[in-house]
Amino acid sequence: MTVKMKALVAAAISLALTTIVIGNAYYQKKQFYPSVVYLTNSNPSMAVMYLQGLILVLLVGKIIRKIFFGQLRPAELEHLMERSWYAITETCLAFTVFRDDFNPKFIALFTVLLFLKAFHWLAEDRVDYMERSPVIGWLFHVRILTLLMLLAQADFFFIHHAYQFTLLKGPSVQLVFGFEYSILLVMIVNILIKYILHAIDSRWEAPWESKAAVLLYTELAINFFKVLLYIGFVVIMVRIFTLPLFAFRPMYETMRSFKRAYSDVVLSRRAIRNMNTLYPDATAEELAAADNECIICREEMHGGAKKLPCNHIFHAACLRLWFQRQQTCPTCRLNVLRAPAPDAAPHAPHAAPAPHAPNAPRAPPPPFPNVPPPPMMAWGMPPAPPPRPASLATLSAEELRRMEGTERRNVEARLHLLHEIQAMLDASVLLMQQYSSVVANLPLDRNDVATQTDANRPEPSPAPSPAGARPEPDAVPGTSSEATPGPSGSSDGFEDFAFDDADKLTSDTFSEKTDADAEELRRRRLQKFSLEN
Amino acid sequence: MAGSALRRLMAEYKQLTLNPPEGIIAGPVNEENFFEWEALITGPEGTCFEGGIFPAKLQFPPDYPLSPPKMQFICEMFHPNIYADGRVCISILHAPGDDPMGYETSAERWSPVQSVEKILLSVVSMLAEPNDESGANVDAAKMWREDREQFNTIAERLVRKTLDLSPL
Repeated sequence: MTVKMKALVAAAISLALTTIVIGNAYYQKKQFYPSVVYLTNSNPSMAVMYLQGLILVLLVGKIIRKIFFGQLRPAELEHLMERSWYAITETCLAFTVFRDDFNPKFIALFTVLLFLKAFHWLAEDRVDYMERSPVIGWLFHVRILTLLMLLAQADFFFIHHAYQFTLLKGPSVQLVFGFEYSILLVMIVNILIKYILHAIDSRWEAPWESKAAVLLYTELAINFFKVLLYIGFVVIMVRIFTLPLFAFRPMYETMRSFKRAYSDVVLSRRAIRNMNTLYPDATAEELAAADNECIICREEMHGGAKKLPCNHIFHAACLRLWFQRQQTCPTCRLNVLRAPAPDAAPHAPHAAPAPHAPNAPRAPPPPFPNVPPPPMMAWGMPPAPPPRPASLATLSAEELRRMEGTERRNVEARLHLLHEIQAMLDASVLLMQQYSSVVANLPLDRNDVATQTDANRPEPSPAPSPAGARPEPDAVPGTSSEATPGPSGSSDGFEDFAFDDADKLTSDTFSEKTDADAEELRRRRLQKFSLEN
Repeated sequence: MAGSALRRLMAEYKQLTLNPPEGIIAGPVNEENFFEWEALITGPEGTCFEGGIFPAKLQFPPDYPLSPPKMQFICEMFHPNIYADGRVCISILHAPGDDPMGYETSAERWSPVQSVEKILLSVVSMLAEPNDESGANVDAAKMWREDREQFNTIAERLVRKTLDLSPL
């Protein structure tokens, strides 16, 4: 209310000022023509006239808005204000380029441009609103169609005018107008397409699934045209005048939205193709398990539901819409572009046999202890889960056989590995038993000595060959084991185990093996020692 | 056929009316425009906002539920995760991809699985346990951390204000 009052007061003051200025001119000059000359030569009078003109334009705008839009919604008003500010500052920037042409006609043309732009924006917002409103009356259609037609005609007229003017008089500020109206015309086309799509959608009873895709492509095409226009404009402006700073912000935004539209189209196409070709349709049981409800639209699913690799089920149509935004599962955010496709399994056999073939499960241990056994290579990678088919029923017998082939080989390789691990564990258990039995057999009076080597030194040993080996025990572990056969059978068995199996082990266990050697040596020396005593 | 956004909003409205969660009322401002809702949130018990009834408006985008709605309190609020103009800053209301604060993982962002009810419940728990690392209202975050007593006093004043009581 207060804003309205203020506007009324401003209009009244402006009207009063204009009356005073004109009255004063007429009072001084008494005739029409001299009064006009007086008015145009007096700067204060011109300022008042400009103000009056502006208020008249705003009034006309208000009337047209009432005719075509009725009451504006707050969001529309906010949007309009925001865009107006940018447009006005950019117009002021444009003035600086064409300051030589600065005259009332020039200002009038820019005002008309801004005026028409504002209506383009409003029309766009109003058409976007169609999608949200449950009730759209015939008045809405009449208003929008008439407005779009009028705006398109105005755009055509101004483009034509700019073209003719440039042909006749060479490049001037009309270039800017021609370009601006071309952009507006592209915008009208965009609005019209959207309007038609929304109108068709509101007539149809069933949800129109491909509408979003059509919108996406329209956006891509429209943005492409706009980018072309902007680039052409900037090139022409740079060649003839100077850098058109005022066009940079809208150009940047257009390019950004073009890029976004492009990547949207590419990514969503990929995700949707994945969905159509790779993901299976959900079965009736699966649908029942998910309560028959699609969590995206909260409506029942009867048919046309797809199951993602993560086993979440949605309407195919809803998924298509969502994939145009993001290529993830709405529930668990699994990236569907990166996730292993469920039909990856039939392809796996082509790659898998190669590393496995040379190392059949019963292959001899590899010559180098540092090289891990091949099954480790294939199965040790943490992020590679076994490819799991979504449904075995969808695979052919041949694929199944191939899949089973690798699977069996893999299982055999794993079993072999487990056997080796078991042997290693047995060996270490035996080692521990041996060690503890030896410690238990030690004479009590030796318990206070710190290490066996220390204990050995002061003792004059009667056996010559072990004594010779004693000073450098680490150098030749093999000789000592040959020289002294183990006192018990179990010890022999242990030796076989430890030395045969250790060769097959990985590099980690190799160091363990050398430890085991040292341990073994020490044990033998102890045994010998206790025997001598 | 009306848009899928409209149908989903109608379904959610029905669900919220038939089976309202405790302490939350929400619905369209008028039934001609299902894309603007008003919600009343009761301050959670046992917190400094206890007893208050906080009005907020929700604005839904035309592509709801693919994009999240915006939520704004229309009463005065003083809270680390609410901007001075009442806009609510919680991760569930941010579409993955835009991250105003730069710390949210995409796992807690908007997805079509979320709903009005979940948003409002998140806001209730946000009232109970502010996240003082998000700087929607830096003053409030600082006061919440350093001078809890004064924060409680301000909250109590706001609660009384929402109930149209004179300040103590």
